[in-house]
Amino acid sequence: MSRIGRRRLKASDDVDVDMVPIMNMFLVLIPFLLMSASFFQMKAINTSVPVQAENTSAGSSAEKAPKDIKVTVIVQIGREGFDISAISDYLEYEDLSKLEAKIGKVNKDEYPLAQMAAYLQKIKEIYPSSDTIIIIPDGSVVYETIIEAMDMARYSGRGDTPLFPNVVLSGKVG
Amino acid sequence: MALGSIGRRNRQFVAPRLHITAMMDMFTIILIFLLFSFSDNPETFQLDKDISLPESTAKMDYKDSIKLVLSQTSLKLNGEVIAEIQDGKIIGLNPAELKKSSLYERLKAYRDQMADFEGDEQSESEKHILFLCDKRISFKTINNIVKTAGMAGYPNFQFAVLKKVTDS
Repeated sequence: MSRIGRRRLKASDDVDVDMVPIMNMFLVLIPFLLMSASFFQMKAINTSVPVQAENTSAGSSAEKAPKDIKVTVIVQIGREGFDISAISDYLEYEDLSKLEAKIGKVNKDEYPLAQMAAYLQKIKEIYPSSDTIIIIPDGSVVYETIIEAMDMARYSGRGDTPLFPNVVLSGKVG
Repeated sequence: MALGSIGRRNRQFVAPRLHITAMMDMFTIILIFLLFSFSDNPETFQLDKDISLPESTAKMDYKDSIKLVLSQTSLKLNGEVIAEIQDGKIIGLNPAELKKSSLYERLKAYRDQMADFEGDEQSESEKHILFLCDKRISFKTINNIVKTAGMAGYPNFQFAVLKKVTDS
């Protein structure tokens, strides 16, 4: 082999990318990102408390078809379970009383969330325009139960189809 | 000869080379993962150790706003302790006189201050409180705080929750 050929072969053997600066950069970046990273994902549920509304004129059911009628569902979370009712400017007392239901606890600690969601689904099927729910928990109900009930009422715990996405949290009056 | 054998040994010695390709691969994966988790959260803040948020299927991101943190021992407004909690009761917050509480006064002052600063830029629905509450606290305690905030002009809340890990 000629001298030039030998030199070329030697030169190609020696070529090696210097990774040390990149490694240094990684070693600085990774601790920085680890420190600033959060390993829990925080989300939010929009809620409001009742405020004094302006006086609106009440309509009548004769003017609207059920699919256009909006009802506001009220879910009372008590020690014994859920107490569901509804209010609407467009429905008579008889129609509204048909929507009332009591869903008792399955056992001492477990609230029947699935049954409540199924019942709310029924109301939504009758009055699909409805989007507001008022949750009235008892004083002893813990925050976790309220959030679970909100989850079920908003999206019934499955899929992206909203059930009652507008949640109002209220205390018992009287 | 002794010197000759040392010379031979030196010639046989090959400097060890560190194979950093595998390490580079690992670092690249970690870096990408951390960069993604970093960009996912617009803002992060330190959660107190004594607060345990409930889990939820909610997918909405929280917005930067007034932070009200209710743990089993204290009530904090934007990081400042404004009341102590003892046996589920907020010290200095009388349910019959909510407007005399320090929470009401501070929220009211904050709202007036923001009104002067922002004018009418922010609509009423955008003025909300980010509420972080321990999952074991009863509604009796929460209700007083929520009512006070509503009276001070903040009827809209964002309840902070942890994203529930679903099987799907």
